[in-house]
Amino acid sequence: MIKTLFRPASISIKSIKPSQLRSFTTTNPLSFVLNKDSPQYKYLHEWKPIEHKFTEEHEYLKVYDDSTALLGITQYASQALGDVTFVELPEIGDRIEKGDTIGSVESVKSASEIYSPVSGEVIGINDALEGTPSILNHDPEVEGWIAHIKLDDIAEVKDSEDLLDKENYEDFLKKDD
Amino acid sequence: MLRSTITRRLYGTSQNVLKKTPLYEAHVELGGKMVPYAGFEMPVLYNSQSHIDSHNWVRSKVGLFDVSHMLQHKFSGKDSIALLQKITPIDLSLLPINSSSLSVLLNDQGGVIDDCIITKHGDNDFYMVTNAGCREKDVNFIKSEAENFNDLKHNTFESALLAIQGPKSQQVLQNFTNEDLSKIYFGQTKFLTLSPLGGAQIHLARSGYTGEDGFELSIPSSSAEETKNSLSFFNTLIHEYPDLVKPIGLAARDSLRLEAGMCLYGHELAEDITPIEASLAWLIPKTRRSEDSKFNGSSIILDQIKNKSTTRRRIGVSSKGPSPREGNKIFNETGSEEIGYITSGSPSPTLGGNVAQAYIDKKHKIGSNIKIEIRGKKRDGIIQKLPFVPSKLYKP
Repeated sequence: MIKTLFRPASISIKSIKPSQLRSFTTTNPLSFVLNKDSPQYKYLHEWKPIEHKFTEEHEYLKVYDDSTALLGITQYASQALGDVTFVELPEIGDRIEKGDTIGSVESVKSASEIYSPVSGEVIGINDALEGTPSILNHDPEVEGWIAHIKLDDIAEVKDSEDLLDKENYEDFLKKDD
Repeated sequence: MLRSTITRRLYGTSQNVLKKTPLYEAHVELGGKMVPYAGFEMPVLYNSQSHIDSHNWVRSKVGLFDVSHMLQHKFSGKDSIALLQKITPIDLSLLPINSSSLSVLLNDQGGVIDDCIITKHGDNDFYMVTNAGCREKDVNFIKSEAENFNDLKHNTFESALLAIQGPKSQQVLQNFTNEDLSKIYFGQTKFLTLSPLGGAQIHLARSGYTGEDGFELSIPSSSAEETKNSLSFFNTLIHEYPDLVKPIGLAARDSLRLEAGMCLYGHELAEDITPIEASLAWLIPKTRRSEDSKFNGSSIILDQIKNKSTTRRRIGVSSKGPSPREGNKIFNETGSEEIGYITSGSPSPTLGGNVAQAYIDKKHKIGSNIKIEIRGKKRDGIIQKLPFVPSKLYKP
């Protein structure tokens, strides 16, 4: 649905001021940026992922050399959804199989489920999204990560035919347009 | 994988050939994201505003909604009252000339075929607006009902139909007419001219479907020149009053009417729901409740009023967390018994939290705690009265 409704060419990238989301957010989203105590901080700001993959359903997966991955939604998905009003997260310790629902992202007009493209165990969740869902509008691909997953088998990512690299994902967006 | 699970409710199904309204060009120029809706290409959002921005804009300033996809009807002839009072429960003798009222087209079982606004222009001269999504069905229904009457003329037409909604609507529109708009109250209508539109007779109604004060203009657009004029009027409103007026799409239209407790056909209203179940008993005036009243489904509807024999009713629901959406099941507080279902729901930009409309077993009162099943989990909710946001209609 996202694919057909919102074409990238018709969406302007703009910054949403926190004041425009006053009904939903009570905290300035920027206060969550650079939280050095977060166990994911080094993944987000210090380590380089060894794989950076995308799905045709507009999720990204950043895989690190400790066999863990951060899962989130792409900039394109974030714009297509519009103002994010609620994010439902999985729980730490949840066992997930490839294709399982691990949460959802809601806007005023719709709810979109997030399905995991890999199998593993949830070892971290981005609680900041519960209080400040608009982080997903500001910075979906870094601070707006959704789940941190310990992969069962890193080969599942490397050998996957469903996961696109950045270039293929961008071609896919163009074709989709 | 990100897949949108709730998408049908706004956009309907796409059709091979989508129609365009007279204001189409303006939507595209203004960055409207066009989607198929009831056979038309309609703007869902404009790229200058997010859904929440556009919703809040209408509650505080002025929003322009293109509603040209709705179908306009004219009825004339001595039998038009008899026809309209058979297919709807309205009492046209109570309606002053140049006034309008909400009503419903009814089938033989008292179910709602469509909701409509009926305006009296003369003793035997009526104007009606019905929903775009029900066009074909409504026209067939009215035609077949009209066969029972002789002195009756019914025709449909299209024009640029423009809803101007929001607290500053009068302030903006007054700049274009000498007619004193402060004397036209909610439900009243008038034919007038608007300065940028030359001598064209514009039908103005003080009405709307957002809970805000506002107007609905029917601007003739059957010729190329008329279409050009209506388009230029739309653009003039936006460009001359940039701090007050913005075009608003379908997305905010839905969240505004939901907060205002208004029904959307296909969601709160359907052919197996009577107006009594829909909490619209006020559409049947006292004068039409006597036993000799005859309108479609009257025996069923009057029985429901007299014996309070309905078991469910349309009511509000509020919640926190994930939003209730159409089709979610509703359970009692302990979760042991299914008691209803959600017909529309979304986060409320005006109030925060989520608001929804639902059909719930009448036994469960306003203020009761309930559970709403969303994505397999039962979540807390409360039964609320409608509307969530009180209507600010312009009344004497």
